[in-house]
Amino acid sequence: MENSTIETAFVSALTDAQMPLRLYVQSLMPGDVSAADVAQQTNTTAWKKRADFEPGTNFKAWIFAIARYEVLNYRKRQARDSRLVFGEEIEQLFAEDLSTRDETTERRHEALRGCLAKLRPQDRDLLMHRYDADAGTLDEFADRVGRSVGGLKVTLHRLRNALLNCIENQLSTAGEPT
Amino acid sequence: MNPKERDQLIDDLLEGTLSEADFLRLEAEFCVDPEARRAYFDRVALSQALAEEANLAAQRPAFRRKTRLYAISRIWPALAAMLVISLVVPGMWWQNRKIKALASTEETKASGFGVLVDQVGAQWSVSGLHDGAMLPSGKLELQSGVAHVELFSGVSLVLEGPAEFEILSAMEIDLPRGRLRARVPETAHGFRVRTAKGEIVDLGTEFALASSAEGAEVRVIDGEIEWHPEDRESGEGEKRLMRKGEALQTAGGTVPSAGDFAGLEEFRQRHDAERGRRREAWIERCRALDQDPRLVAHYRFATEGHSRQLPNLSAGADRPGPGAVVAAVAAEDRWGQSGEALDFSPTGSRVRVHVPGVHESLTLVCWVRINSLDRLFNSLFLTDGHEVGAPHWQILDDGRLFFSVKRLATSP
Repeated sequence: MENSTIETAFVSALTDAQMPLRLYVQSLMPGDVSAADVAQQTNTTAWKKRADFEPGTNFKAWIFAIARYEVLNYRKRQARDSRLVFGEEIEQLFAEDLSTRDETTERRHEALRGCLAKLRPQDRDLLMHRYDADAGTLDEFADRVGRSVGGLKVTLHRLRNALLNCIENQLSTAGEPT
Repeated sequence: MNPKERDQLIDDLLEGTLSEADFLRLEAEFCVDPEARRAYFDRVALSQALAEEANLAAQRPAFRRKTRLYAISRIWPALAAMLVISLVVPGMWWQNRKIKALASTEETKASGFGVLVDQVGAQWSVSGLHDGAMLPSGKLELQSGVAHVELFSGVSLVLEGPAEFEILSAMEIDLPRGRLRARVPETAHGFRVRTAKGEIVDLGTEFALASSAEGAEVRVIDGEIEWHPEDRESGEGEKRLMRKGEALQTAGGTVPSAGDFAGLEEFRQRHDAERGRRREAWIERCRALDQDPRLVAHYRFATEGHSRQLPNLSAGADRPGPGAVVAAVAAEDRWGQSGEALDFSPTGSRVRVHVPGVHESLTLVCWVRINSLDRLFNSLFLTDGHEVGAPHWQILDDGRLFFSVKRLATSP
């Protein structure tokens, strides 16, 4: 293959791996809003190392290894050990799972939109505010909306459960899209 | 651990309220149970999707029901732009807010003595002299128009074409032909301009000069200069001190006039006027485009009244709705109008649009000023995910344009 063909194939693989990559990085950094930046940094590093990728091998597995290294880097820079961090073997397990996970992200996201529309308006608003970029910690958020942390936790958990159930139902009844 | 408890712990983890003891329990569960890990991924993915939806919802006055639209199609392009290459010239940078070509690495290497700050209708004999360019050494020819140049000595020059000149150093230029007006700060006293008929040595001032092979005219607008005739035998006299208001013309030949010359203010006015005309022309062009029946969507990045929504300007019926601005902030457009453009440098910047429909072909056009390519993929136009038929338009970090449309896999 010519160089440019290889690069095009690489870029295409990289593009396809974006959703799984974001999911993997976020899984290693639960609740951390910097996950998107770390995933982006992973892209940059992967591109620099593109010559190291052996065509025919599992691209996701390859880029997850880079992602894990970037997450470790990020933790080092943060110099903060208060966050809960998974052990190495768990992080490897995540990589194995996600590199073979059936890619349904797109359909799930679409199903989510349908499910959100079915919620009561006040529940939907609560979720949208909780996931707003400026929402802050649950304590801060509870303060802002004038509710107890405990009560909010219960409500949000219930809503997430409802959404996940709804998504599963939609996916199992919708069948394969054409 | 039953699934109910597990899911609660996962949510606590994602909310940042999980205790360390419970974290260890959850970790143990993940270690042995693939189902637990799957539940975790589902919840992480859900929180990512919700964050994205919240981002969108925050831009809308009210959450809209869009189920019907989804049934039709699902192209969700995000527009993004980016920013580039800054030639760093400490203290010399002056109102340079213009487009910089990607290929300016050449100029950054050139050992010039000054920068082309601004120009109005300037035609150069060489290409690549865009605003902000370092002026290369050697002879330069400004065929027509006006150019504002700043030398690293602090000297500000307005040159009017047709002119030939060479910047010999930050303190000396050669002007065999053309007109110029120079403003020389105290730090650059002793600045020299050579002409065919003599040389000006500045003593802290502002002066105008017209030069040709036949002669020269000098006017002192402020301060003082010394005029050193080229040919002292010709009777034009010894060096002469000239003060504010004085003028001098060399004898013989046709001498061009130094008066009636564009000062920086007039230069600025001309520039603004031209910018205004070009903006008008652009708006006219856009209006015509908006009426084109083939136009699907046209978003102008103007955020008047702090609206975070960009109306679709296409005049056709049943066109896609407004775009939602996410993270990007209002900026000046290329004609200096504030709030008429978007700066996509904040992380996560994009304009989300929903463009239903299936098209056999598509023309995408955008105007982007690139300030940096600091990401591997710098997006111009993307769809969520990469489904069959979805276009992706990006600029790679090395400046190459990358456009792709995902095709059907040839075999399962």
